Amino acid sequence: MEIFLLKNIDNPESHRIQVYQQTGGYEQLKKALSMKPEDIIQEVKNSGLRGRGGAGFPTGMKWDFASRDPKLPKYLVCNADEGEPGTFKDRPILEKNPHLLIEGMVISAYALKAERGYIYLRGEYPHAKVVLEEAIREAYESGFLGQDILGSGFSFDLSVHQGAGAYICGEETALIDSLEGRRGQPRIKPPFPVNVGAWGMPTVVNNVETLSNLPLIIKIGAEEYKKIGNPECPGPKLYCVSGMVERPGVYELPMGTTLKEIIYEHCGGIKGGGQLKAVIPGGISTPVLTPDKIDVQMDFVSLPKVGSMLGSGAVMVFDESVCLVRVCWRAIRFFEHESCGKCTPCREGVGWMRTVLERIESGFGRKGDIELLQDIASNITGKTFCPLGDGAAGVVLNFIRNFPEEFDYHIQNKKCMVEA
Amino acid sequence: MIELTIDGKRIEAEKGMTILEVAKANNIYIPHLCWDRRLKPYGGCRLCLVEVEGQRKLMAACSTPADNGMVIHTDTPNLQKARRTVLELLLVHHPLDCPVCDKAGECRLQDLAYKYGPSESRFYAERKHDPEATSALIERNPNRCILCGRCVRVCWEHQGVGAINFIGRGFKTKISPAFEETLDCEFCGQCVDACPVGALGAKPYKYRARAWFLESHDSICPYCSVGCTLTLDLREGRILRVRGVDGKGVNDGDLCGKGRFGFDFIYGDTRLKTPLVRKAGELVESTWEETLYYVANRLRDIKRQYGADSIGAIGSARAGIEDNYMLKKFMKEVIGSDNIDTSARLGYAWVLRALNDTYGINQNPIKLDSPIGKEVVLVLESDLTSTHPIFGLKFLEAKNEGTYLMVADPRKTKLARRSSKWIRIKPASGTVFLLGLINYAIREGAHLREEKEIEGIDGLIESVKPYTPEKVSELIGVDTEQFIEAASRFVNAETRLIALTVGAAENQKGYETVLAAANLLMLLGEGPDSLQVPSDYSNTLGAWLSGTRPTEGGKDLYEMLYNPGSLKALYVMGEDPLVTMPDGNTVKKTLEELEFLVVQDIRLSETAKLADVVLPAAAWSEKEGTFINSQGIPQPFPKVVSPQGDSVPDWQILRNLARVMEHDLGITELGKLREELSRIQTDRGQQRWRFSPVEVPSVAQTTTDYPIIMVTGNIMQHSGALSVMSKSLSHVLSDAFVQISPEDAERFGVKDGEFIKISSPLGEVFIKARVSDEIPEGMLFVPVHFAHARVNYLVSHSRLGNAHPTPVKIESTSTATPRR
Ligand SMILES: Cc1cc2nc3c(=O)[nH]c(=O)nc-3n(C[C@H](O)[C@H](O)[C@H](O)COP(=O)(O)O)c2cc1C
Ligand code: SF4
Ligand code: SF4
Ligand code: SF4
Ligand code: SF4
Ligand code: FES
Repeated sequence: MEIFLLKNIDNPESHRIQVYQQTGGYEQLKKALSMKPEDIIQEVKNSGLRGRGGAGFPTGMKWDFASRDPKLPKYLVCNADEGEPGTFKDRPILEKNPHLLIEGMVISAYALKAERGYIYLRGEYPHAKVVLEEAIREAYESGFLGQDILGSGFSFDLSVHQGAGAYICGEETALIDSLEGRRGQPRIKPPFPVNVGAWGMPTVVNNVETLSNLPLIIKIGAEEYKKIGNPECPGPKLYCVSGMVERPGVYELPMGTTLKEIIYEHCGGIKGGGQLKAVIPGGISTPVLTPDKIDVQMDFVSLPKVGSMLGSGAVMVFDESVCLVRVCWRAIRFFEHESCGKCTPCREGVGWMRTVLERIESGFGRKGDIELLQDIASNITGKTFCPLGDGAAGVVLNFIRNFPEEFDYHIQNKKCMVEA
Repeated sequence: MIELTIDGKRIEAEKGMTILEVAKANNIYIPHLCWDRRLKPYGGCRLCLVEVEGQRKLMAACSTPADNGMVIHTDTPNLQKARRTVLELLLVHHPLDCPVCDKAGECRLQDLAYKYGPSESRFYAERKHDPEATSALIERNPNRCILCGRCVRVCWEHQGVGAINFIGRGFKTKISPAFEETLDCEFCGQCVDACPVGALGAKPYKYRARAWFLESHDSICPYCSVGCTLTLDLREGRILRVRGVDGKGVNDGDLCGKGRFGFDFIYGDTRLKTPLVRKAGELVESTWEETLYYVANRLRDIKRQYGADSIGAIGSARAGIEDNYMLKKFMKEVIGSDNIDTSARLGYAWVLRALNDTYGINQNPIKLDSPIGKEVVLVLESDLTSTHPIFGLKFLEAKNEGTYLMVADPRKTKLARRSSKWIRIKPASGTVFLLGLINYAIREGAHLREEKEIEGIDGLIESVKPYTPEKVSELIGVDTEQFIEAASRFVNAETRLIALTVGAAENQKGYETVLAAANLLMLLGEGPDSLQVPSDYSNTLGAWLSGTRPTEGGKDLYEMLYNPGSLKALYVMGEDPLVTMPDGNTVKKTLEELEFLVVQDIRLSETAKLADVVLPAAAWSEKEGTFINSQGIPQPFPKVVSPQGDSVPDWQILRNLARVMEHDLGITELGKLREELSRIQTDRGQQRWRFSPVEVPSVAQTTTDYPIIMVTGNIMQHSGALSVMSKSLSHVLSDAFVQISPEDAERFGVKDGEFIKISSPLGEVFIKARVSDEIPEGMLFVPVHFAHARVNYLVSHSRLGNAHPTPVKIESTSTATPRR
């Protein structure tokens, strides 16, 4: 497959507009501006593009909802908050290929008739901020942003809004609150942002990678696009692999590449030839898999069949030197820290799970603690306001379900199986 | 209409309702903690979870719209377990200090924990122990907080303030004012009533009583004319607390700070306990018997010597209709004089006159909900959320629901801040603004839209000719474009409303303002419902309707108070003209020239200090009575505590005095009085429209000597001269002040907090300056509540009832000492 999202990545000047344009950049924008906005939306629908931010929502459908809402103005927001542990797939686009994102955003905005856009950028990506702002400046200078873009009569302004370091602000409604200058907390849905979003106006929130697919769809058309990867959810996908593999990193592969191929072919297998013990396929919120499941295709439809999810496509690989109780405890510590505090089960329950996990991990576990954890977690599941709390409960339930012996060992022997 | 099933019951519901709302409407109980009828759904506590068939997850009833065909279960073992868990989680870090918590006994968390059974807590966590935070009237105990967010949301969404918010996140989340500073807000106390647990409390109530020992009575607020229902909580014969209760009264549970905290004026230090009679120049205590005989003799003598027409009386906008009616009866039957009036003469009477001169009606009770659903609402130079707080809230609500809220006001009031459009006009230029709108509407041909011709249209057209958009925008001090945009919005709306206040304490609006508003509305085909001008105080309207005014050609307030020598004796009941009425010098002169002044009041007012006899009256709640609110609704209030000292209800004092004067007024008990009063008419009478052009509207004129305009009015925490007796309200604000713009402060060398000298041709006063951007350049704003400031001494009165803003001069007095 031709590399598209990470094109020019090895060129140290890849973030400059000249380099981008030399390799065909902004040509798709010209093409798109000659199309009718409705036709672009139809093309995106036909392409089968699904959001890369985690939920995998069909992008064309989302756009359709927003464009049917008569309220004006409309907003386009790029979700570059990338806060899910293990996830760093958007970062190379933001830092190395910013013009691809900008081109994708202008095309999207044109299709949506949005005249104002924001890139909501993770606070911990200061370098990306510098790169993006410079790229936006270049794009303004070249007439790809601002008034009357390329003489089309369409105008679009874009700026970067830096987050303040809260994971929950990656959730689209909390993101909008934060963008509006308020405390980032998820809002009630419905109404959905496509109808009542930023400042009460129709707002489309899409992930960096999602928007970066637009130039490709315009370039090759929906029919060709659908031929990339799994036809049920096609397109190129960025997988970011971390943990105990030989070559961790971000890989652009067709959607639906198997987990096994990613780990053993692209990443060179387990580090030091070790034994695979567990793998999280899509970021910390997605259920952990045991090694027998790694033949699964990494896409939105195949992973649910083995009890997990694609999430952000962040693969975390653990070999047998890793204590999974510790992994679980670290994950829950993260969720406790990031809980926004709005709803009772997450705010109070996650901290409680962390306390129990902490005592198990540090050798003070009691009999019944596993059942207690399961009970708390199952009472959080499905009862929280937003998926963050659910995700936290899911982590505990899945680690215990898949690796009960590690937890038992900890409690009985007051120490870790791995150290033993 | 949609149809759904809840717990096996088939139910019809309106589309757009949430599951919880449908359940509530059908008496199906679903527990909830963070839901509040007035607020947008929040979905935080997760207690209201229900099962919806076909949904994988449990749904929060408060925030899930009910849908056609839904099958809902509200009480399954699974839900019981879920709720028990939520409660368990809420109690994990809760201090469980119920024995010392004032909320115990009426705490929603306690009740729910009780209902869902004892959970043996499986988790031993450290309890929270953040320090309590205190402020003028509200105490926060963060440890008891369950983070339902009701306080935060009621403050922002409903009150339009935003004084508190969540800070921190996750488990460390707390409720706090910005930067954890001390709470400094309106002190409406709405957050206190909204809090389901003991995390927020009214400071005056702290450690005063256990909830189960309280005895509750519903009453009517004694302050403004909204007439909110207050739930008074008493212990051992003393009112300890006031609450608003959802579903009760015209206010439906909402209260402002005056209603909630101001009740303690009845326990004020200056309350009168015995009659006082002036002997050798001093007021000395006396007995009722001796005093009444003395009063009777003096009145008889004066009547004999100068005639009944030399005796006058002033009634009270704060006393019940029974008391006022009795005063009228006394004057008429015992004295034989029609010289009687109230403070309504200075404000509300002009409203009624203007309505009569245009719509041909006798009254125009407001409707609290009138702004809701209107396309455009214009609030004209009126700080409604301060003067009529709960009426004011309706404007915020309307705005939240899509009304275009236009505020024309020099002051940055709360409504101005929360408006769709704030037009910062020059002080006292509201009338000119309206004339400009009439001119614009005529240009747009609005007068041709209506079928029927209204009398006087030609005169109206002629009269507004000079008020072209260009001229008006210059006079009111805004760009022409901005004016035209506003005018076009207003004139071309489908539905519209104008709201303003014309109060005795305000000097920037008057008769001509209401005329102009009525002319404009009639021109656009709008009836009197589109003009909302509330009466001032709890019983301004009631006093008027019960006939406390000249009805047979007697002297009105102007003749009695501003014409020294016209009376020989004056009987003042529950009013303090020396403080609350303009041109204090003339009032004082009039009072001093009287041969005999009787003041009947609950406290030793400034006017009482000049009196020959002072009679102690029982206060609100120490007697029963009836107020007629600005909606024209007569609302009885009960006696719940005993009168202080020897004080007696006003109507009884008058009955007794009549007896001493050997007159039987035919009234021995309240029932009899009320029977006579039941004949009061509150309908507005037949409409007969005619235009009544405003001749020459007064535009505030400054001079080189007096270069700045002083506007007077009410502020949020006070009401007339009554509220300053409340210790609680005085905790928030007890000192007179004048607001001055930063520009003028700079220009006149005034520093924030220093005393400045303000002088008008009528006199001078010294007041503390508050530099504030709520005020534009060229204007001062002074609240009228504080007797010692004597602001009313600077203000002239207008017998034409028009606006009479006062040009003044200010001087910094960094060196001078204030004079009291
Ligand atoms: C707790 C939480 C965190 C999230 N963080 C991110 C994020 O960092 N980046 C992102 O693109 N989407 C994130 N999402 C998903 C967004 O809510 C939203 O679905 C997404 O931005 C939509 O874009 P897409 O349709 O292009 O995927 C998060 C969701 C949740 C519940
Ligand atoms: S689950 Fe609740 S507390 Fe947790 S992040 Fe979402 S809204 Fe906030
Ligand atoms: S008292 Fe009123 S203004 Fe103050 S915080 Fe509470 S709700 Fe807000
Ligand atoms: S203080 Fe009371 S109302 Fe406010 S969040 Fe806490 S519990 Fe809720
Ligand atoms: S002062 Fe007015 S608004 Fe406030 S509680 Fe009393 S009646 Fe209601
Ligand atoms: S009442 Fe529904 S979540 Fe609190």
